[in-house]
Amino acid sequence: MERKALITRSMVAMILLSIAMVFSPAVNSLPGGIGGDTIQSAGCNCHNSFPSSDVIASLEGLPEEYNVSETYPIVVSFTGGPPEAGVNAGGFNLWSSGGEFSVIDATVQARSPGEVTHTEVGNDYREWSLEWTAPSHGRDVDFILHVNSVNGDDGNGGGLDEWNRLDLTVAGSLGPGLEQADPYKVLGTLIIISVILLAATILYGFYRVNPDNFDWEHLAPWIVDWLTSTDHKKVGTLYFVASLFFLGIGGIMAMMIRIQLAAPGLNFISQDQYNQFFTLHGTTMIFLAAMPMINGFANWIVPLQIGAPDLALPRINALSFWLQPFAALLIFTGVFTGQGADTGWTGYAPYVVSEGAHTGVTMWVAGQIMLVASSTLTGINFLTTMAVMRAEGMGWMQMPLFTWSILVANLMLFLSIPAFGVGLIQVYLDRTVSTAFYDIGAGGDPLLWSHLFWYFGHPEVYVVIVPAFGVISEVLATSARRSVFGYRSMVYAMAGIGIVSFIVYGHHMFTSGMSPSLRFVTMLTTMLVAVPTGIKIFNWLKTMHGGSLVYRTHTLWALGFLVTFTLGGISGMFFPSMAMDVHLHETYFVVAHFHYVLVGGTVFGFFSAIYYWYPKMTGRMMDERLGTLHFLTAFVSYNGIFWPMHRLGVVGMARRQHTYFITTEDFNHLPEWAADWNLFISVSAFLFFFSNFIMIANMLISLVRGQKAPADPWGGWSFEWMTSSPPPTPSFGRFDGEKWHDLPVLRDANEHIANEPGAFASWFNRLMVPENEEEVGH
Amino acid sequence: MGLITPLYDMLWKEYLIWSLLVGGFTFGWLYHHTFFYRSEEGIDNNVDNLEVGVFPVHYENLKLEVAWTILPFFLIVYLAYISWEPLDNIWSAANAEDGYFGDECLAGEASNLYWDDSDGVYKADCYHVIGITGFQWSWEFDCYNLEEDVCAHGVVNIEGNDKPHLMLKANSAYLTRMTSTDVTHAPWFVSHGVKEDIHAGKISSQWVLADDVEDFLLICTEYCGDNHAYMIAGISIHA
Repeated sequence: MERKALITRSMVAMILLSIAMVFSPAVNSLPGGIGGDTIQSAGCNCHNSFPSSDVIASLEGLPEEYNVSETYPIVVSFTGGPPEAGVNAGGFNLWSSGGEFSVIDATVQARSPGEVTHTEVGNDYREWSLEWTAPSHGRDVDFILHVNSVNGDDGNGGGLDEWNRLDLTVAGSLGPGLEQADPYKVLGTLIIISVILLAATILYGFYRVNPDNFDWEHLAPWIVDWLTSTDHKKVGTLYFVASLFFLGIGGIMAMMIRIQLAAPGLNFISQDQYNQFFTLHGTTMIFLAAMPMINGFANWIVPLQIGAPDLALPRINALSFWLQPFAALLIFTGVFTGQGADTGWTGYAPYVVSEGAHTGVTMWVAGQIMLVASSTLTGINFLTTMAVMRAEGMGWMQMPLFTWSILVANLMLFLSIPAFGVGLIQVYLDRTVSTAFYDIGAGGDPLLWSHLFWYFGHPEVYVVIVPAFGVISEVLATSARRSVFGYRSMVYAMAGIGIVSFIVYGHHMFTSGMSPSLRFVTMLTTMLVAVPTGIKIFNWLKTMHGGSLVYRTHTLWALGFLVTFTLGGISGMFFPSMAMDVHLHETYFVVAHFHYVLVGGTVFGFFSAIYYWYPKMTGRMMDERLGTLHFLTAFVSYNGIFWPMHRLGVVGMARRQHTYFITTEDFNHLPEWAADWNLFISVSAFLFFFSNFIMIANMLISLVRGQKAPADPWGGWSFEWMTSSPPPTPSFGRFDGEKWHDLPVLRDANEHIANEPGAFASWFNRLMVPENEEEVGH
Repeated sequence: MGLITPLYDMLWKEYLIWSLLVGGFTFGWLYHHTFFYRSEEGIDNNVDNLEVGVFPVHYENLKLEVAWTILPFFLIVYLAYISWEPLDNIWSAANAEDGYFGDECLAGEASNLYWDDSDGVYKADCYHVIGITGFQWSWEFDCYNLEEDVCAHGVVNIEGNDKPHLMLKANSAYLTRMTSTDVTHAPWFVSHGVKEDIHAGKISSQWVLADDVEDFLLICTEYCGDNHAYMIAGISIHA
């Protein structure tokens, strides 16, 4: 087909698709429009009703000035609106900024200590009685009452409804208190501050590079160069900066979650906001922080390690990156309208497609579909690069282990993420054009989502941890001044983890009602993961044997990784044993476990990578004293956060909960010390959050004042240490318009082994593009 | 005092012992090497003669590598083996000949649940069937035709709010028939250490083994939206 005809047809298809989208049922809007905490700012949304001045709300029984801790009987009522039909006469929602409501009959129920509404029984009334206990702080208390007048007799021409709102302030003896900040505004402000700091840092970076040309004429092309670059090093830096930015944003949300959980019964953020923050914390940390961090280093280091001038498909690489910021915008869109995704990062069906889920879920799903596209393109690019652009003399079994880890991670991602993409598209269609993949009433199956999600979700966990294994292999071997012990078994162990990762995902669904036989099989396969993982840990330890361990900051982080990842691995062994799992599932024991693996594993691994490869990337050495301070503060505070969570989970603290209940005289639940430990965890979380700014400061200070880095500051063997620091562009060789020249050639201290590949290597070689001289030489 | 239930505690202790052994071995090795094999300050002792652009000399030991492949594998087989019967115990098929809880109790028949220490499992003569329905954001219990002493439900005030209340009899095995009317929920009987998802349009079941007299909370552990954290109920096990 001619190119012109192809473009014309594509444009017609796009226009038709756009028209179809315009006419398709779109996201539902709240009566008062999208905005704020639903009931307080958007009005009563129990029906698609409208506000009316005919409805007059009344709140009786409240004093003009309250006495602290005194209980007041109050009556909520309204007049006006549609005439009563005997059933479903009306409803209300009453919110207060302080004190607690108590329910005294079956017509009223509490949504939280500070919010009450009618029950199904109470729906037949237009007057409700309850009690309000004044707070002990003595500050003014605001009340917001919504009443909904309904003629619920649908069968007799009824179904009318109108609502109205009443605002009231009850004075306290100490007058108005400090107004509590809106958590959305806190989040928004902190994000804006982060953006400003990032922009200032970028500008300062430009100034340092060109102190004499600090003007728009030079800045504009400099920015355009970064925005349009296809150089693997620049795209890698973009990934890296984006990942640090989102690590901060995810961290801010974690801090808000921890303030909320610092004590039982707090209402620092509403449950509605809490649900959005933990959802976006998970999505941000996995997809916008961890994955881009890995891609940043993969972009920078893989071509350098295999002696390639760039990635095989540089434009595809830039596209992979630029899909991410736009995906992030979509993912976050809902939050700034008060309607962010509130489904948990797992987005379980049927809640994710239910009317109760926020409208922002649609955007959140759309953003993740873009991330699926980005990851797929990245997978193609790296696999192609490794298959065809390795330096002469570098067989599969001579690739550095970090490159191997990226190969395994991308293979896993490449095989698993299509399932996630399919699931996301189904959810998107369910939410926008009313298909029924997950609509139970129409025969949809919510467990289909769980299968599709975890078929991807579990390998995804290994996708983010396996590259950290690669980093640790590089760092520990170089720091111990040894070649890594059992190179081949390290490769096979990574491949083994990759294979096993596809047959264990059922352990996420042990309580979903799956067959006990299948549960037993999954229990066995899940436990099997410990074998290749154990091989890696023991090989790392043996690598240090007989070595001469040089203590640098990256060494400390690698050793810290060994401690925390081993602990995370051990706690992971408790889940496959199902008689324990049915208790531990969805508790803080799980939260502790996966943070030990994902923070203690992936994040610590990549902190090590930052200190290890920063001199190569920037040409400057980092400050070791600041690095050590960062390690000590972060390592201690990190363990302060997640170690106590194990115990909290065992005694009954469930995750994804806005608050937790302490044992009372009537009912056992969490022991009293659980509240103390939660406060300890929250304080530790802030320490951990701020300790990481030491590293950011170190990077910035070192960029300006750091010592010039030599080509091989740590004594590593792989090709990245052969080029200058920072490397030139192209990273290796020169191109004369037809062919590359002067690409590096790998020598091997084990010639006999290089010439006799093992059985697995031979089999694997046959699967991949054959290695002939012309191709390896590129 | 036990942690959760004898079944859970038995596994927990066994796993904890092996965790301490594996952790002690690994960390002992790690701390020894980090101290013993550290370099002298300022001296770069390039043990394996690492050189840029040269794939380093292979450094491996087949016996060792096989050892730390096989030994963890044996440990896993052992841990899976000791987890097998508890798994069978918590998901025993109802009315199975080799089941642990017999058939459904006849009217007036006592369940007689007990912990068999020698076999490490719960056993009962028969079981009672109760119903649980979850919806956003509360629970509804159904005692069917059971006597009030064996099962009753009502409303109880928990921290100022009315919540559903389920009253069961100690030393009784209950088989719950559960469903949801909207999204997925999961009732967690915290003191009994069991939870199971409930889905709209499907019936799930789980064994609730009411062994001791106590009052505790049932909470929802499958995220279900706005008031998920407050979707609780009171469970009272009486003598």
